[in-house]
Amino acid sequence: MLVFDAHRLLGPIPSDDVTTTDLDGLVAELDHLAIDACAVSCTAEIFGDPRSEHTRETVAAWLAAEAAPTRHLTAQVIIPAGTSGWPSTPEDILGAAPALVRACPVRHHFDPLGPVARSWWRELAAHDIPVALDAGECGLPLISALAATHPRLRILVLSAGYRELRRLAELLETFPGVYIETGTLVAAGAVEWLAREYGPDRLVFGTGAPLWDDAGPRFLLDHLELPEPDVEMVAAGSARELIGERWPW
Amino acid sequence: MIVDIHGHLGSPGDFFVPEPSAQWLLRMADRVGIDAIGVSHFVALNLDARRGNTMAIDLATQYPGRLGAWLVANPHDRDGDRVIADQLDVPGVWGLKVHPDFHSVPVLDRRYERYLRLAADHSVPVLSHGQTRSDYSDPADLAEVARRHPGLTLLVGHAGLWTDGFARAAELAAAQPGLHLEIAGSRLTTRWLERMVAIAGADKVLFGTDANFLDPRVGLGKVVHSRLADADRELVLGGNAVRLLGRRLPPHRQPSREQDLLGRRG
Repeated sequence: MLVFDAHRLLGPIPSDDVTTTDLDGLVAELDHLAIDACAVSCTAEIFGDPRSEHTRETVAAWLAAEAAPTRHLTAQVIIPAGTSGWPSTPEDILGAAPALVRACPVRHHFDPLGPVARSWWRELAAHDIPVALDAGECGLPLISALAATHPRLRILVLSAGYRELRRLAELLETFPGVYIETGTLVAAGAVEWLAREYGPDRLVFGTGAPLWDDAGPRFLLDHLELPEPDVEMVAAGSARELIGERWPW
Repeated sequence: MIVDIHGHLGSPGDFFVPEPSAQWLLRMADRVGIDAIGVSHFVALNLDARRGNTMAIDLATQYPGRLGAWLVANPHDRDGDRVIADQLDVPGVWGLKVHPDFHSVPVLDRRYERYLRLAADHSVPVLSHGQTRSDYSDPADLAEVARRHPGLTLLVGHAGLWTDGFARAAELAAAQPGLHLEIAGSRLTTRWLERMVAIAGADKVLFGTDANFLDPRVGLGKVVHSRLADADRELVLGGNAVRLLGRRLPPHRQPSREQDLLGRRG
């Protein structure tokens, strides 16, 4: 079974001492848990300023360590805010044809429902590029509002937490373009319940490591009470469908 | 033997849990090799300790050897200690559960004293909710409880809950006889589990999952996939619980599946 972790961070984090500060460390962690591949965002783009020259150099150095990536794809962090954002225009992103992008509207203080961001979401939707948003950062009501105003935009909800199943159910019921990352769905039976109610193709295995635990969600994946094809769908199939033609494996 | 020292049954009330039943919990326990689970009932924690404790005892009676009962000590119940005293030797009862945050009573408040004396006198462990920086259950306050009650076995639930408090909780457990860490919680990582064992000692850390609040499979995975030495992992998963619960924990039904699980690691 192919296992793809759709939510990983690469680089140091301010609140802990972690081993995934470079690609070698990342691959060692993937190997330890038998995870075949992952999507990573660089912590320099999340906790630092994505626009700064230092961040660009740092990210380039981290990702250049592997000339032909076989274990990861990059979820670049964007700030859709014009000349004060990163990059300046959506065309800069579209040219790189990323598998997915990540946005942090609360952390980076931009309005995801404002006119500039709306133009970005239209472009991303038109080019089938999903955007990942951390529910712990920006809240499910904002994600719901974004999904409502951009129904063609595919949204991967990260770190939704174990207390929000009612809100997640409504999101999945209402918006076909919304997918949920499973790492923090740790209420008893949560993954199976959502899979049975809304389909395993809406649930994307992920962990949020190293900020969040990866061992528990990985163990859960091996012990889900679901048919094998459904488990395979959660493990990597749903991510493959979400990413589409840019899926590299 | 794998013992989940921190479980619940019933529905928590403030959010939706898809699988609140004992049947589901035991089916998942069988699926991953957890031999026994100690549970307090959400009715006891949220509403009515007397009624909920009876419900927990009924479940422990219905599933002997698989479910143990933690009896919730309600500090607002003036005769609660008398009721619990009559229940302590019922087969299947593991000890007392205190949740100072739910009850809005600091664990050092005198209203808990009669319960703590009862537990010490009867040599039953006390499992407390533990929450770093809480006015009610900070691990330093729990360490003070252990200091005031020599001989009492006190478990710091969630090892203090928040990651930035794990190291201090582990240092407190290392320094205070009787004080142990229980590791259930969504914030725990294998990285922090390994550090807690290194600081407090493997004999001071106990496996718990917070099921059915949380999914027991997730909690077990953190221990199974950690880089603990096998002997330490065995203590955390069940060895410590067997030692602390003594005769209250019946012999397990079958050879542990621990080795199977370890064999399937990464």
